[in-house]
Amino acid sequence: MELDFAQGFSVDYYEGGYKLISISDGSSFLVIPEGKSLPKGAPEGAVPLYQPVERIYMAATAVMCLFDALDGLGSIAFSGSRAENWYVEGAKKAMEEGRMVYAGKYSEPDYEMLVQSSCPLAVESTMINHSSEVKDKLEELGIAVLTDQSSNEPHPLGRTEWIRLYGAILDKEEEADAVMERQKAELEEALSAGKSGRTVAFFYISSSGRAVVRRSGDYVSKMIDLAGGQYAFSDIGDPDSKSSTVTLEMETFFSSVRDADVIIYNSNIDGEVKTLDDMLRKSSLLQGLKAVSEGNVWCTGQNMYQQTTELGTIIKSFSRVFSGQANGLDELPFLYRLR
Amino acid sequence: MADVKKSLIDHDGQRLGGAGRFAYTAAGCALLLFAVIAASVSIGSVSIGLSKVWSMLGKGLSLCVRSVFSKAASQELSALISSSGESSILFRIRLPRTLLAAILGGSLSVSGYLLQVFFRNPIAGPFVLGISSGAKMVVGLVLIFFAGRIGLISSLTLVAAAFGGSLLITLLVLLFSQRVRNMSMLLVVGIMVGYICSAVTEFCITFAADHDVVNLTSWSMGSFSGADWADIRIALLVCIPGLIAAFLMIKPIGAYALGEGYARSMGVRVKTVRVLLILISSLLSACVTALAGPVSFVGIAVPHIARTLLRSSRPSYVISTSFLFGAFFCTACDLIARTVFAPTELAIGTVTSVFGAPVVIYMMISSRRNREV
Repeated sequence: MELDFAQGFSVDYYEGGYKLISISDGSSFLVIPEGKSLPKGAPEGAVPLYQPVERIYMAATAVMCLFDALDGLGSIAFSGSRAENWYVEGAKKAMEEGRMVYAGKYSEPDYEMLVQSSCPLAVESTMINHSSEVKDKLEELGIAVLTDQSSNEPHPLGRTEWIRLYGAILDKEEEADAVMERQKAELEEALSAGKSGRTVAFFYISSSGRAVVRRSGDYVSKMIDLAGGQYAFSDIGDPDSKSSTVTLEMETFFSSVRDADVIIYNSNIDGEVKTLDDMLRKSSLLQGLKAVSEGNVWCTGQNMYQQTTELGTIIKSFSRVFSGQANGLDELPFLYRLR
Repeated sequence: MADVKKSLIDHDGQRLGGAGRFAYTAAGCALLLFAVIAASVSIGSVSIGLSKVWSMLGKGLSLCVRSVFSKAASQELSALISSSGESSILFRIRLPRTLLAAILGGSLSVSGYLLQVFFRNPIAGPFVLGISSGAKMVVGLVLIFFAGRIGLISSLTLVAAAFGGSLLITLLVLLFSQRVRNMSMLLVVGIMVGYICSAVTEFCITFAADHDVVNLTSWSMGSFSGADWADIRIALLVCIPGLIAAFLMIKPIGAYALGEGYARSMGVRVKTVRVLLILISSLLSACVTALAGPVSFVGIAVPHIARTLLRSSRPSYVISTSFLFGAFFCTACDLIARTVFAPTELAIGTVTSVFGAPVVIYMMISSRRNREV
């Protein structure tokens, strides 16, 4: 399989419809077409996945939208999040209608429920590495564990491209290609706007009054860069660190954010803010900032982090804000202006 | 427990001869406090020249005094604060944060001392007795179950929730104190109440949305990061009356510390003293938890350090020294929290425990060794 951005996996096709998926964490999966059996000489260590792969336990929130975009939610029977925590409408509806059920969060799955229903595959995020005993237990029970590594992709669209891996498992490669083509087009459009040179602060204020920003080199800061903005905290945090956020000392935060041209308030983590006053109430320091006085304060929609399939669209929204194309607008995909 | 009681009595036995030592200790603590406040307003992740800091502070202070009488000075003060990034950092970040850390650190130490007198036990403190857990429980309940209904949770709501939680647990402990006469048993009851609060919080977290868990975790870490002048006003309004009340009680406290029988023979109304002790203590610790989140260790350790430095348990000495040393200790820990790994900031509780616990262990071991010698 040819990949444009993703570096964390590969898919090799073999005669008879067999597919070998190799992932950067060293795991590999052999997808076996319906009606066929494990071939002789199958790669050692590759976990067999017999198609159709159904009754999946989805514990990686960022992956649900990829299955949704592939029209593959029917393959998922178990969710690691409750219905009210999903911003992927299809998943929420499936749970409300009982087609998908809550089977415990990633660190505390309901093993009995999964075994009883012969769940063949658990899709986990890299958070499972902090609960390795859960992974061991699932494997001991005969449930294959695929740890999604998309969060480690250096390019934002690398995350989206993991849709091709799930497309291969569900035999929906064409649908995956279509999603990728759309997002590539959105990215191209954003790139064509060029560098705006405007500084952009992306942060939230925690309930203890501390400023939490995305680490430089994190995918959000890269999206800002691709959209033509200049990330205000570009020298904050170790770019090679696994952590996505940095809790910032207020002086450094203030001196960086004070003259930023645009503020994007990250309301996905600590709950949504609706108005500019809501944001200003979080810290008196935010009053009088350049972006606040000029009306250039935007807020992320709560669904941004669960929309891995729309990262190109999000970059395009960023680009419209930075380039001034959004002047006079109050709403863009995944962003709204705070007034 | 017998050892602990004996050690309190031993200290008390030397209390009358300690006026000179108190004067030296209090002066030393005041000097340390002044030095750390000066360091705290001078040092930060953004470098501002020392001369500039002190010239801006001098000008600000003079305008602040004049603004009481003159509107023009008040406007000039506002202009000074927003005149540059550096002045904003000094007057809107460093100064309120430093002052809040000092006021709350001192108050938390006095709160811990009053609890230790109440329980006649040096390990009593807002953290041990579940007062902090009670605050966390109510903040958790508000964040998890009411956030969706009342919209955005403001910091004032969290302050009110923390305050309510602290007072709720205090009232519970007070209620038990009417039935349980043995102070050690009452301490155990307090610890159990703390466990129940923690269990309720964990139960809520199990059903909480991810962002509510993030909010609660962040609040639980404690920080002076969001300090502003409104917080200082609240702290002063609550802590100054609390501290004055504590000072007004030094005589009954001294008698109570020598035993209820002795206190009664001196005409002290023991029941009233007990109620007042726990109410004042809770008011102070609730204010700290409400404004800065749970700050561990200070409430237990500082009164112990003060008694060791003073070699006396005389309430007037210990309350004054605890306040000064607590203010110094908390301000120093906050300075460390915001500068050691700057621009990344540490939680205040991390620093108070890491830097404070070894000091107390050392002091306890060396004081025991001295007694054995």
